Amino acid sequence: MSDDYRFTDLPLDDIRPGTSVLVSGPTHDGSRSLGMQMLAGEYDEGAIIVTTNQRASRMAEDCQRFGIDVRDDRTAILDCVGDDDDPDVPARVLPVSGPADLTGIGMRFSDVYREFKTTDIDRVRTGLCSVSTLLSFGDLRTVSRFVHTLVGRIDKVDGLGVFVVDPTGHDERAINTLAQFCSGQIEVRDRDGSAELRTRGLSDQPREWTPFDAFP
Amino acid sequence: MILCVDPSEDDREATRAALDSTYEVRTAASLSDAQGVLSERPVECLVTEYDLSDGTGLELVRAVRNDAPDAACILFTDTTLDEIDTAAFGDVVAEYLPKDDPDAHDELASLVEHALLFRDQTAYPLPDDEDARVAALERYATDPESLGDSLDRLTELATALFDLDAAAIGLIDAHEQRFLSCFGISFGPVEREETVCTYALLDEGVTVIEDTSEDPRFEDNEGLQAADIRFYASAPITTPEGHTIGTFCVYGDDPRTVSERERELLSLLADEAMEQLVLRRRLRDSGGERDE
Repeated sequence: MSDDYRFTDLPLDDIRPGTSVLVSGPTHDGSRSLGMQMLAGEYDEGAIIVTTNQRASRMAEDCQRFGIDVRDDRTAILDCVGDDDDPDVPARVLPVSGPADLTGIGMRFSDVYREFKTTDIDRVRTGLCSVSTLLSFGDLRTVSRFVHTLVGRIDKVDGLGVFVVDPTGHDERAINTLAQFCSGQIEVRDRDGSAELRTRGLSDQPREWTPFDAFP
Repeated sequence: MILCVDPSEDDREATRAALDSTYEVRTAASLSDAQGVLSERPVECLVTEYDLSDGTGLELVRAVRNDAPDAACILFTDTTLDEIDTAAFGDVVAEYLPKDDPDAHDELASLVEHALLFRDQTAYPLPDDEDARVAALERYATDPESLGDSLDRLTELATALFDLDAAAIGLIDAHEQRFLSCFGISFGPVEREETVCTYALLDEGVTVIEDTSEDPRFEDNEGLQAADIRFYASAPITTPEGHTIGTFCVYGDDPRTVSERERELLSLLADEAMEQLVLRRRLRDSGGERDE
């Protein structure tokens, strides 16, 4: 049986464990939606979501909206925003001091992944929403090191990494550099009110613009 | 070299014992001892406790990032994440592994092995053929002295061709760029994360940065600023087997564009430099070289 990560409602073929992809496109064109939908896994999978610009409670709601089965024993939100006093977030919320604290995000990730593993959760999808915020708060070299380290870690544990970036306001060369750390890139655009994706660097995936549902 | 730092002698030795015996491992008991080791030798991997008697593991990670920025850094610690203030160290980036995990030592060994193999704490992307590339480099760059003035002639010709003041031929090893020839400029070895050529390695063909101060990868680069470099172009120096081991670069102190013909000329110069390296290697292999 294949261990690949599956995407039931998206025009994407299965992705091999250990892969990280950069999902790039304007947020309002559907890049964030695609990234979140890619994190919706099967019942036995875990999810770790880094939120850089939305409160944990909002992020948990979004997760549910995009099909992620949020449960506190297997969904962790690494919260770089703080100020969330909602005690009823159904996920495990772990604080990070802010989006400039890349060391904190990376170490929290390692720690929560290890805890998942002790409860026999071996398949974990990791989402970073979004890399754009990290670029706004840190220099490219630091963000590069962080992304490289996280991609390496996801590869080592046979996870799936989804790094969402809105290139608006960022230099194309910065985005391309970050894409070079990932196994592949998925670009997202809006054409006449319909979201489309195309992939680069991933085998057996659509290379031409292909529509997907950004509002499931 | 792997550096293990822990104030507890028992823990220090247990960490050392967990690592593959083929690695060269040094140990230190405190931040200042560890800094002493760093000043002697480049470190490839740091495994450190957080609470050191004279400082913290994150302070040590910061020191390592200064001396050996590519090193893999791992906090292997009894301190929980809630007790570690990472905010002031947000830019250093390190792995975290608690010691109380039942499989902690196995996990550490596997983390170290993976980090050394894939070098995934570098701040720059690695080419797909990185290992083969570095191995090829070692075969061609064993005796740079034997090249004599041949490469210096090429860099001088390049400046005249491009009407610029500076040109250089550099080889890029696992961690540094070293220059075989510089004309109109002088470089010692440069950390890989500091050089434009590190990024050029991943490009197909000629790389042109018309204005380094407008490129997010280089706008804060102090080395370029100190050398007054605004314009950069390079062609890859590629072995007959197809591995890029270095670059032939031209530099200018003003932004500039490059014509198609100039791209071709720069590639010709890079190919000529490679040819020189191939010929010297053949000479060495056939034993035809004599001491002068």
